[in-house]
Amino acid sequence: MASKVDLEFAREVATSEEFNAWACMNCGVCTAVCPLGIALMPRKLFRHTVLGLKDEVLEQRDAIFQCLLCRLCQENCTADVHIAENVRFLRSYIDREVFGLDADPAERKDQYALAHR
Amino acid sequence: MNDRRLGVYICYCGGNISDYVDCEQVREAVAGEPNVEVAKTTMFACSDATQQEIIDDIQGLDLDGIVVASCSPTLHLMTFRGVAERAGLNPYQYVQVNLREQCSWAHTDLPALASEKAVAMVRAGIAKARYTEPLQKTRIETVPRVLVVGAGITGLRAALALSDLGISVYVAEQQERAGGWVGGFGSMYPHDGQGRELIGSLLTEIERRDNITIYTSAELVEKSGNVGDFSTTLEVSGERITLNVGAIIVATGFDVYQPEAGEYGHGSADVITLPEFKQLVDEGEGPLEYRGKPVRSVAYVYCVGARCQSNGNGYCSRYCCNAAMHAALVAGRRSPGLVQYHLYRDIRTYGKFEKLFEQARREGSVFIKFTEQDPPRVERYNGGNRVTVKDVLTENRELELDTDLVVLITAMEPRINPTLSEVLKIPVGLDGFFKEIHPKLRPVETVIDGVFIAGAAQAPRNSAESAASALSAAAKSAALLKRGFVELEPLIATVDPDVCTWCDDCSTACPYEAIERTPYGDREVAIISEAVCKGCGACAPVCRVGAIDLRGSTDRQIKAMIDAMEVVHV
Ligand SMILES: Cc1cc2nc3c(=O)[nH]c(=O)nc-3n(C[C@H](O)[C@H](O)[C@H](O)COP(=O)(O)OP(=O)(O)OC[C@H]3O[C@@H](n4cnc5c(N)ncnc54)[C@H](O)[C@@H]3O)c2cc1C
Ligand code: SF4
Ligand code: SF4
Ligand code: SF4
Repeated sequence: MASKVDLEFAREVATSEEFNAWACMNCGVCTAVCPLGIALMPRKLFRHTVLGLKDEVLEQRDAIFQCLLCRLCQENCTADVHIAENVRFLRSYIDREVFGLDADPAERKDQYALAHR
Repeated sequence: MNDRRLGVYICYCGGNISDYVDCEQVREAVAGEPNVEVAKTTMFACSDATQQEIIDDIQGLDLDGIVVASCSPTLHLMTFRGVAERAGLNPYQYVQVNLREQCSWAHTDLPALASEKAVAMVRAGIAKARYTEPLQKTRIETVPRVLVVGAGITGLRAALALSDLGISVYVAEQQERAGGWVGGFGSMYPHDGQGRELIGSLLTEIERRDNITIYTSAELVEKSGNVGDFSTTLEVSGERITLNVGAIIVATGFDVYQPEAGEYGHGSADVITLPEFKQLVDEGEGPLEYRGKPVRSVAYVYCVGARCQSNGNGYCSRYCCNAAMHAALVAGRRSPGLVQYHLYRDIRTYGKFEKLFEQARREGSVFIKFTEQDPPRVERYNGGNRVTVKDVLTENRELELDTDLVVLITAMEPRINPTLSEVLKIPVGLDGFFKEIHPKLRPVETVIDGVFIAGAAQAPRNSAESAASALSAAAKSAALLKRGFVELEPLIATVDPDVCTWCDDCSTACPYEAIERTPYGDREVAIISEAVCKGCGACAPVCRVGAIDLRGSTDRQIKAMIDAMEVVHV
């Protein structure tokens, strides 16, 4: 089955300041060192992200939120990918696109508070 | 037999020969041969002491020919010719027998038979030496001027370098303007300088020089003469001019592969080649537009017409990965948010150009690897193009990219130049580019003496590599001409006009066009140009009346050698 890339998603990723996983060389070090095991797989996740495979990225939603942001992967990355920043970028993207949360941090805080009241 | 007086020296080569060949036995076997005045063995024939001993023998025993049975002539032919010369003997009275490469090293497992073979080889050497003749090199005065064909960056850089060395230069450019590909470029890798400005500055400098003349709309249509003294004819806008030069540098550059209709969608709207894309990013300012529409996404397909077994060319073009990435960087800066997919087989941003790759990735280019067996497809879809590719890095997942533009990263190809090929006869390699004698040891020389090659006419090269080879060709041709004369080997073919019946077979066989027809009494016979003949021997065996002989390897010598080899019993 062919997957159609979502050029708009790819463009949004491309214009973001926080996201820098294009430099990723697919070496797989991050996946190997991740204490959560295979659940997250930054290598694969980023590959899907840069290609613009939006549906695949959204499918990995749980894994993206499971990430501990421990930065073990980032410390070991051979291409200086700010893995944790990128995971954060994807979280806020999902917050916005899937949960309809606003990107403005001030409002977001309110919504978070609302959600957890 | 004749009354020749020969000296024979059999070398141990410090064991390289004597470990497998019984050199003393060989010496005994040949010492009694007719004409052999002295036969000796030696530990190292090339040592100073032995060289002196040979000289003393030549003078003391009044020898008129010597045979050294040692290593390959490639190594020491000149050494022993020098020995002969220092002793007052004509150097062409010297014969070398290659006992090391052709006998001892080849037969380390069969020492007894190796010794037998060595005897036969030395006997053959003696037989050859019996019929050597004193020969003289031909000396030709050289003309201190060079013709450069092609005024791309290579030709222009070569012209300036020669001018710096005090050699006058004519440059013949086929097009109406000088500059080649680079003259049409904007920003270039790796320096981001403008190609047009680069060529502009070379042309400004050339204008200041009195000793460089550029002819545009010019083609080389005739060449005669020989190394150091060619007569060349240019056709300049229909007019013929004759130039007398000592050397020729061919810098005629390359063409870009033209994909066939339908190859990766070539021919459909919004599918363009790298040169077309380069022009698009070089011209104008602000966000990219193509055919009046903004370009918001691009798919590049690499290695088009390169590195393929089936069609196109088998080699890598070297420049295209770099040029594509550089163009992508410029495009990305002009159009923020431009989505760029690079569909590649391997990335060959070699050496320092790796930085371009790194930078392209950092600035948002996405790289998708495909295999030669499973190339991307480009098809019309929804009024645009759809590129379908299997991404090796995502478990061969098939991706569909509906980008605004598809850019085919096309290879360098040899430029088809029928007139020039006809006039200069420079051989081409399997890839179709002009061929040097040796890629490392003699990288700008061709088998045609005095004709040099440089730049992308010789192989796929970027501009810096082309300019470097231009300097190399300039240095080589200057070294040839600055001396004022060239000396030509006398070991060439000769025609006996009394025997020749001019059937034309030899001149057809000669790969260098050295043979022409000349009147002789009331007949016509073949004549061989001393300066053009390379002594390859192709003509001699085809002559039906046996009129051609090769100096240094005459029929008589070869027959005598064969006869001498027959009787072997050790
Ligand atoms: C799209 C593209 C982008 C590139 N980008 C870069 C870059 O950014 N940086 C870089 O370093 N390199 C780049 N290159 C490579 C660069 O163009 C070459 O290295 C360079 O042009 C080689 O110079 P040349 O003089 O050998 O050949 P050419 O530029 O091809 O010049 C040869 C000249 O000879 C003339 N000629 C041909 N036949 C005859 C004849 N029979 N008689 C007389 N004249 C003749 C031609 O008209 C031409 O003027 C790029 C190439 C392409 C195609
Ligand atoms: S460690 Fe870095 S370069 Fe390697 S796969 Fe992970 S993100 Fe990519
Ligand atoms: S330089 Fe790159 S695009 Fe060009 S032929 Fe080589 S691998 Fe292919
Ligand atoms: S020896 Fe070779 S180069 Fe010389 S005339 Fe004969 S064929 Fe030509």
